[in-house]
Amino acid sequence: MILDPLIGGIAMGCIYSLIALGYNMLIRAMNLLHFAQGEVMMVGALAGVTLVSVLHIPYLAAIPLIMALCAALSLGLDTFAYRPVRRRNVPVINLIIATLGVSILLSNAAILIWGAEPIRYPRIYGSDALLLGPVRIPPQFLAPLVVGGLLMVGLQIFFARSLTGVAMRAAAQDPEAARLMGIDIDRMIRYTFAISGAMGGAAGALLGPIIFASFNMGEVIGIKAFVAATLGGLGSMPGAMVGGILFGVIETFGALFISSGYKDALGYAVMIAILLVAPSGLFGRRARA
Amino acid sequence: MGGLARGRRPLLVLALVVLLLAIPWLLPQRYFLRVVDLGLVYAVLALGLQLLVGSAGQLSLGHAAFYGTGAYTSAILARKLGVPVEAAFLAGAVVAALLALTLVPVLRLRGNELAVATLGFGVIVHAVILNEEWLTEGPFGMMKIPPFRLGLLVFDTEFRFYYLGLAVTAATYLAFRRLTRSRFGRALEAIRQSEEAAVTSGINPVRYKSKVFVIAAFTAGLAGGLFAHLNRYLNPNDFTLTESINILVMVVVGGLRSLEGAIVGAMIIIFASEYLRAFKEYRLILFGALLVVFMALGAEGLRGLPAKLAAAARRPAPEPSDG
Repeated sequence: MILDPLIGGIAMGCIYSLIALGYNMLIRAMNLLHFAQGEVMMVGALAGVTLVSVLHIPYLAAIPLIMALCAALSLGLDTFAYRPVRRRNVPVINLIIATLGVSILLSNAAILIWGAEPIRYPRIYGSDALLLGPVRIPPQFLAPLVVGGLLMVGLQIFFARSLTGVAMRAAAQDPEAARLMGIDIDRMIRYTFAISGAMGGAAGALLGPIIFASFNMGEVIGIKAFVAATLGGLGSMPGAMVGGILFGVIETFGALFISSGYKDALGYAVMIAILLVAPSGLFGRRARA
Repeated sequence: MGGLARGRRPLLVLALVVLLLAIPWLLPQRYFLRVVDLGLVYAVLALGLQLLVGSAGQLSLGHAAFYGTGAYTSAILARKLGVPVEAAFLAGAVVAALLALTLVPVLRLRGNELAVATLGFGVIVHAVILNEEWLTEGPFGMMKIPPFRLGLLVFDTEFRFYYLGLAVTAATYLAFRRLTRSRFGRALEAIRQSEEAAVTSGINPVRYKSKVFVIAAFTAGLAGGLFAHLNRYLNPNDFTLTESINILVMVVVGGLRSLEGAIVGAMIIIFASEYLRAFKEYRLILFGALLVVFMALGAEGLRGLPAKLAAAARRPAPEPSDG
C-alpha cells in the first residue's frame, strides 16, 4: 500500500520540520547556522525519558514541560556561549564553529547524565492503528502529525498576528529600521532562541518514542533537518515546513527503492540537485550576506 | 608583522629549520612522534582548507571527502594492484582533484548554501566508501597497507615518517606562500571581500573558485595518501563530517588567512585531542568549551592573542563595558 510509507514519511517529516524551523528562525534573525539545534532536540528526547519513566508524568503533559526546558536551554546557550562570542564582532565562521563546540559539549554532557546506551521510551501507544477511510495511521505517527501540525500552525499565527511575532519578523528583516521603531533587537534575538529551542524540544519529545533516545541522535537527525531546511530555503519559515515534510517523504520512499546503505546519501543528492536548479532552495529569498 | 629586524630574519629561519630537523632526535619517544606525524598530515590538510576558506572565503564542510579519496585511492593502488607507493600517492591526489572538478557546478552557490552542499557531498562520498566493499573493504576497513617508499628509502617508523611529513608540509607551505602572494592570491582576496566587486575588476569568480577548490582537493588527497601509509589501516569512519569539521576548526583556531596559523592550529588540535585523554569522559566536554572560548578570539585566532594581551596590559584599567 503506497499510503503507509507516505504517512510514515510525513510524520517523520513533521519532526524534521520542527527542527528546521529552529534553524531557519536563527538564520533569518541573525544569519546563524546553529549546529547545536540537533543537540537541543536530543536533550528534549532524553529529558522526556526521565519525565515519563522516572517521574511518571503522562506523555502528553510532558511535551510542554520538555519544550519549556529546551527553550530555557537554548536561551542559556545564547546568554553564556554565543552572546560573549558575538559581542567581539567575530567573523560568521567563528560563530558557526562555536555552535559546533556547544554541540560537542551537549552530547558529551548527555553521556554523563543519561549514559551512552540508547534508551527506550516506556510503552506509550497502543497497537491499534487509526483508520481514516483507506488511510491507516500507526499510533506512533499520530502524535508527530497532530502535535507537530498544531505547533506549526500555531507558530504561523504567532508570527502573522501577534505584536511580538511581527516585531520579531521586523527585527530579522531590517534590524536598523526596527531599532528606530523602538524594537529591542536583543530581546527579539532572545525570543528567537527560546522559540527555536522549544521547537527542538518538541521534536525530541515526538521522536524519542519512534527511534530510541540517545546522546548521538542529535547529529544524525539534526543534519537531516538541516538539509530539509536548505531544501525549503535557508531562512524561510514555509520553506522549513515544506522542506521537512518533503525530506521525510523522499527519505522513506528512497529506503524502499534504494539499497539501505545509500538511504542517507539519497536525501543529500536530491538536495544538491535542487540547490543547483534553485540556489536558494524552494522558498528561499537570498540570505543576507 | 613588523618588530623583526630584517637582517636577523634569515638566521631565525635557519634556527627554525634546524630545530624542526632535530625534533625526532631531541624527543625520540614513539608516542610523541606518532602524534607529531599525525599533526603533520593534518597540517597539510589544514593548509589546503586555509586556501579555500581563509583566502577565498568559501566555507566547505566536505573536506574529508577529498582526504578520504586520496587515502583510499593510494591504499587500493598500492595494496591491491601493486602500484609503486610513490606513484599511488600521487595518483590519490590526482583522483581527489578530479573529484573536485565534478563539483564545479556547485561552486555557483555561496555562503551557507555552499557549506551545506559540500556537507552533502561529504556524506555521499562517505556512503560510497562504506558501501562499495569490493573496492574499499567496507566497514571493516582496509588493512595491511604498505609503508611509504621512495626509491630505496622506506618510511616505516614514526621516526622516518616524520621527515616525509615534514617535507610534504614544507613543500605545501612554500608553494601556497608563493601562490597567496601572487596575482592569483590577490584575485582570491578580491573574491572573498566581494564577488560583485571582483567581477567588475574583470575577475571571473567561478573560474578562480574552481581552481582553488581543485588545489585544496589535491592537497587533501596528498594528506590522505600520507595518512594511509602512516597508519597502514583505513576505516571509513576516519572520513566523516566530524573529520571535515575538525579540519575547519584547525584553520579557524590558528587564524583565518594565515598559512602558519593552519599548521599551528593543526598541531594544537591534534595534541589537544590526544593529551586531553587524561580527562577521560570530560575530555570532549572540555574540548567543546575550549572551542567556544577560542572562537571569541576572532578572525586572527591564537595568532592575535599576544597583541590582544599586550593591548590589555598597556591599558591601566579595563574600561567599563557598556553592555
